[in-house]
Amino acid sequence: MKIYKNISLISLLVFLTSACTNYVDFTAVENFEITAEDYFKQSSNYKDAVVGVYDPLQWLYMDVLIGEIASDNTLSGGESATDVIGIQQIDEMTHNANNDDLTSLWKFLYEGINRANYLEQNKNKLEFEGKTALYGEVYFLRAYYYFELVKFFGDVPLFTDKRLTASDSGTLQRSPKSEVYAQIEKDLLDAISVLPTSQSQKGRITKFAAQALLGKVYLYQEKFTESATMFENIIGVYSLVPNYESQFLKTGENGSESVFEIQFTNTSNWYDWGFVPQGSEGNFGVQHNGPRAYSGSLFASGWSFNVPTQDLYNSFEAGDSRKDASILDMQAWIDATGASYAPGFKDTGYFNKKYIPRAGESGAQTELNYLNNYRAIRYADVLLMAAEANNRGGISDSKAQNYLNQVRRRAFGDTNHDIIATGSTLTQIIWDERNFELSMEGHRFFDLVRTGKADTKINGFIKGKNEVFPIPQQEIDISGLTQNPGY
Amino acid sequence: MKLKLFNDKLKSLTMFLLLSIAIVSTAQSQKTVTGTVFSAEDNQPLPGASVLEKGTTNGTTTDFDGKFNLQVKSNAKTLVVSYIGFKTQEVAITNAPLVIKLQNEENVLEEVVVVGYGTQKVSKISGSISTVSKKSIGQLSPVRAEEALQGQAAGVNVISNGSPGSKPVVLIRGIPSYTGTDPLVVIDGVSQTLDDLNALNPVDIESINVLKDAAMSAIYGVKGGNGVIVVTTKSGKKNLKSTFTFDSSYGTQNVTRTIPVLNASQYAAILNEASTASGAALVFPNIDLGVGTNWQKEVLVNAPILSHNLTVSGGGENTSYYISAGYLAQDGVVGGGDKSYFDRSNLTANFNTDITKDLTFIINTNYANIKNSGLSENNIGSVLSNALNFDPTVSPYDANGNFGISNTITQEIKNPLALINDTYNYGNTNKLSGKLELQYDVIKDFKITSRFGYTYVDVYGKNFSPLVFYGIGHNSTNAHEDLSPIVTIGSDGTITSTHSRVSESKTNFFSYTYEMFGNYNFKINEDHSFETVLGLSISKNQGENVTANAEDVPFNSWEYADVSAATGDATSQTASSWQFIKRNLSYFTRINYDYKGRYLASFTGRVDGSTSFGKNNKFGFFPSASIGWVLSSESFFKSKKINYLKIRGSYGTVGNDNINPQFSKISTFPKYTFDGNIVSGSALQSIPNDNVTWENQIQYNIGFDIKMFDNKVSLTTDYFNKSVSDLLFNPTLSLYLGTPVYPASNIGKTKSYGVDISLNYNNTFGKDFHFNSNLSFTKSTNLVKQINNGDKFIWGAGYGIPFTTLTRFEEGFSPGYFFGYKTDGIFQNQAEVDAHAVQNGAQAGDIRYLDVNKDGVINDNDRTKIGDPFPEFTLGWNLSFDYKNFDFNVFTYASIGGDIYRAYERNLNFTNRFAGTLNRWHGDGTSNVEPRVTFIDSNNNRRASDRYVEDGSFVKIKNIQIGYSVPVSYFKRSGLTQIRFYTQIKNAFTFTKYSGFDPEISSGVLDTGIDRGTYPQPRIYSLGLNVKF
Repeated sequence: MKIYKNISLISLLVFLTSACTNYVDFTAVENFEITAEDYFKQSSNYKDAVVGVYDPLQWLYMDVLIGEIASDNTLSGGESATDVIGIQQIDEMTHNANNDDLTSLWKFLYEGINRANYLEQNKNKLEFEGKTALYGEVYFLRAYYYFELVKFFGDVPLFTDKRLTASDSGTLQRSPKSEVYAQIEKDLLDAISVLPTSQSQKGRITKFAAQALLGKVYLYQEKFTESATMFENIIGVYSLVPNYESQFLKTGENGSESVFEIQFTNTSNWYDWGFVPQGSEGNFGVQHNGPRAYSGSLFASGWSFNVPTQDLYNSFEAGDSRKDASILDMQAWIDATGASYAPGFKDTGYFNKKYIPRAGESGAQTELNYLNNYRAIRYADVLLMAAEANNRGGISDSKAQNYLNQVRRRAFGDTNHDIIATGSTLTQIIWDERNFELSMEGHRFFDLVRTGKADTKINGFIKGKNEVFPIPQQEIDISGLTQNPGY
Repeated sequence: MKLKLFNDKLKSLTMFLLLSIAIVSTAQSQKTVTGTVFSAEDNQPLPGASVLEKGTTNGTTTDFDGKFNLQVKSNAKTLVVSYIGFKTQEVAITNAPLVIKLQNEENVLEEVVVVGYGTQKVSKISGSISTVSKKSIGQLSPVRAEEALQGQAAGVNVISNGSPGSKPVVLIRGIPSYTGTDPLVVIDGVSQTLDDLNALNPVDIESINVLKDAAMSAIYGVKGGNGVIVVTTKSGKKNLKSTFTFDSSYGTQNVTRTIPVLNASQYAAILNEASTASGAALVFPNIDLGVGTNWQKEVLVNAPILSHNLTVSGGGENTSYYISAGYLAQDGVVGGGDKSYFDRSNLTANFNTDITKDLTFIINTNYANIKNSGLSENNIGSVLSNALNFDPTVSPYDANGNFGISNTITQEIKNPLALINDTYNYGNTNKLSGKLELQYDVIKDFKITSRFGYTYVDVYGKNFSPLVFYGIGHNSTNAHEDLSPIVTIGSDGTITSTHSRVSESKTNFFSYTYEMFGNYNFKINEDHSFETVLGLSISKNQGENVTANAEDVPFNSWEYADVSAATGDATSQTASSWQFIKRNLSYFTRINYDYKGRYLASFTGRVDGSTSFGKNNKFGFFPSASIGWVLSSESFFKSKKINYLKIRGSYGTVGNDNINPQFSKISTFPKYTFDGNIVSGSALQSIPNDNVTWENQIQYNIGFDIKMFDNKVSLTTDYFNKSVSDLLFNPTLSLYLGTPVYPASNIGKTKSYGVDISLNYNNTFGKDFHFNSNLSFTKSTNLVKQINNGDKFIWGAGYGIPFTTLTRFEEGFSPGYFFGYKTDGIFQNQAEVDAHAVQNGAQAGDIRYLDVNKDGVINDNDRTKIGDPFPEFTLGWNLSFDYKNFDFNVFTYASIGGDIYRAYERNLNFTNRFAGTLNRWHGDGTSNVEPRVTFIDSNNNRRASDRYVEDGSFVKIKNIQIGYSVPVSYFKRSGLTQIRFYTQIKNAFTFTKYSGFDPEISSGVLDTGIDRGTYPQPRIYSLGLNVKF
């Protein structure tokens, strides 16, 4: 009896005294989680964080699709008029600020920027070998993300010093496009000054990629002299592959013509539909472009979005090898091979052959894991941009012709199609050539906008409004940003 | 057990001898009255009942068998028989042995209920509780205990689900919070969760008390925000001989309602019309296809449900025990028992031992094993959703006995029989829970309790995704027709293949609560009574999981589906794990005071600390107070009709810590690809909010209890009002912050108010007719008052592909309301389209949407509230009576005013449509309800709109039970004390205007009322047997 009494009293005392308040403190390591406080203490932390900055590149499949669907090249397609309503509206130029696809794009681009900024914020915590060059990659990526933002949205919030936190919500306003461009140029110049000309790993950014992007950024601002000069650094470094179509196959990835290529693989064993596109290492855009319920050889089923128009297919000159390398004429293919497919919404009978699902090129959950890299900047693009800069900047039409004809000779396999025009005639030929060379690669809409041709080419395009897309409504509501005119 | 019985027999014998001697020694010239005292409710003999000759002090108590033998004066006429918890009864003395049945005194004011950290006399409670007795539970024989709360406990809303063993939505007094609405469940003093009720055998439950207001639940502080369900399991009684009960029932379940869809010929005709409307060719040149396949009939089956329970309870001088074993097996009505079942085995052992005179040791142990398997339900991939939308022209099986295939439906939707066939999963849960408790009586009325409660759960799960074939080109097909993998050779010669997959997971949960508290009751000057509690509680809750995945299961077969047997290469074998931990530390106190039982006051306080909260706000304080006044005890209160009247009020705060611990997390999930190889990276994934703190819920409650007409009628009415001013949820922040998870903050306000009423009528007519009717009424109104996240709302659930969000938690609205377009009939002609606000893509035959904001354009800004899934009020009516050996119970439940959103219509070009489509628009004036059919729906007629909203009000006869107890005389010699047969119909009838399977749709609070093909609650016919001995 006494014993129990004592036990009770002792245990009461023990618990009362030991139950001190730190019992309810929490340390993340209890759940084996790494905290920011313990990070950036080894060089590997920095390297991993840089990989994290690359990561959002893989989420941007929609900006390639929109670059075509918004233009005159392709139609929205899909299963029906309500299948991915966001891009259906963009095709019709009826899109508004409540567009999930644009909202995601905005968020993804800013995630890339925040991740880059997080490295900037922690830059001085540790010195290690190769750090300077590593930061070159970070600056390139930040510039790439901001460039996509200004292309899509015009003036956007600009911040570079740190990863924003909850308390920064709603504190920023849009910065003028010119300031964003100035930052992009600064980042790219910083990157160029530290990046190596070659990287041991394919897919890592090189100095040439940074120069090519900067040349493009100058061209978008019509800084033709700077642009032409910048491109000169790259001319001759890369070479056009002899067979145009081969570069879009798996075997053609990271080839001699590839200046900057966003990498994908089919090996991530990804099955989860709930975390797409962030989770998978595959190219989700590819699945969108495929023929619906396809049965036959070589290709695989997709969702029949982003279908090329008859006009685009017909626009190619006879003998242009790029016509059937860029666009799959499904009826011809059916006639030749006995394949079949189910026509989707706005079916044209044509499919994007550069980024079509190919049999055996995915893994795990087939739709989510296509291995196709996105060729973001090809040397042919660089040549055409350089040609344009030289021509429009009045620097050298002969240089422009030279660059243009390099591209055309590869396309036609002869010199009979060389261009000898000059001046504004040449300008228009270069612009047209861009679409023959680069259609289905996500450039068309932005080329039409920057060259002022969008309203004549795109049905429903309203001048003074549709040059940029609307700022997501959610952002306007939360952050109080101004909307683009007309939306 | 045998030993125990023997022991008891020995004891009874001894007692009998002693009593006999006593009787003999006092024998005079008097007469002897003998008899047996039973409990009327369950025909159990009552040992220790007091039997008194009326008007004298001459009396005795009954023995272990409820028998007594009393010498009375020869002229004595009446005995007074009484027993705690039963109505005292006067019995006329006869020469024959008396059989005295005491009525259970459920309404008796001295009834004691279990509350937090102690018990309290109902008469002295000034807070608000609802009680469900074991009798009600027995009449319902539920699979899960929550079922017994539905309509029986005023103030509690239960939205059940038909899927075997699935957890219902339980709301105690509305939806004050966003971060979870599950009430705290306390089983025998040990804190658990609503999920844990799946492992509790309802047979083991003695009572369920629902603590509704702050006065009652504040003793649980931060956990008490959503109310508390206090479950007390059965225990033995001291000095009671072993009593065995055996209950067994067998039932068959079926689905009584199906949804009218088009038959094959109608389908063909409609598809032809849709196709030609969009300028394409006829789909079916011949539409004379008969009725085709009724897929709902194919997948809905009759399924059995059975249960067996064996219990034994009793006690000796110093110990008491309750032991039970139970088995329940329920097969699913959708798809049948091969793929959908819930099998539960329970073993419960509760022991009480007086170690010494002052020290009691209690050990309660509950073991449960649950085996289950399930089919996808209430989502777009569910069996029912496929059955409703699949092509009716396809036969279930083709000529070769393979599953029929649609040539036109090539994505997501498939032959539902094939889907059932291709679904393989298995779960096995072992759960051990219980408590070890020491109660030490330090001095009279001062008791210290030291209690260790624990729950250990081990869950094993297996999932097999075989290679499947739903037709060439179907997007779910990953095999050839012979189920061999599809092997492809890429352009560079690399070979890839499709795979079957298997995953196995092990999850452990362990939680414990150690509590030590003292109860001290004292009086000052006889009239001032105090009951006090002071204590502390330390608890920890943790879980961990390991999951392994592998590819290529031998023979593509479930039999071989195991990670160990899978033959895929090393890269295809993956593993993952997770874990969580949460700790709380709390101190609590309660002081109850009453003056002569007439004026009541109570104060409760709890200090809670939680790992979930920010550094700067680790601890919170939750006080509450209540007062009551028993008017009927006042001398001026003279009413004869009113036996008892109490008014009471309470005010206090409770909390909620349903968030995760916060810190700046570096995620190593981000990856990129270099050289074709995946490289791991890192990124900041979440950031903390050091100031985050509990939701403080301020509640007040006023109510009264009244008993009238000799306590035959009782009425309890409460009005409550809850408001939360620092609602916890993840804010929606500027999108330019990127994609990390931003921490929960205290940034919202909600308000809930309502009324609970419980009305009971209890009477005995003549000798043999007992009647009980109980009506409960629950009404709560919920309002989101403020959300400081910029958007002023948070999206809840949605449906479909592409995903359409539907419900919102929005400032100025009720939580979880439906948000969409309002329709205004059908455009009959182009002139009407032109006259209407600009509605892109609309043409004659399309739905006209209302221009809500009157800006001349129909767009997203015209969306508005189109429905509210939560009922205006619910009503439960339990009626039972028994006459002689028959007993009858019927329970009716009504839910009035809730809306349902019909989200099971898939609306792809080739999916089946619903019978309403036959009334479509097909020319000016043909229909103003159903839009035209077309393959090119440029108007998006299927956008979220009130077209899909239906009134979900219903009245359900939930339970009908008729029992017959075989007269004891028939089996007296067998040693049995009761044999009762019964027949029961559950979910007997549903009266509703809703067109779907079942108007009760539950899957989480912000996901309530969205019918994606919900699993209907089956009608269950069963036969059962209760035996006692």
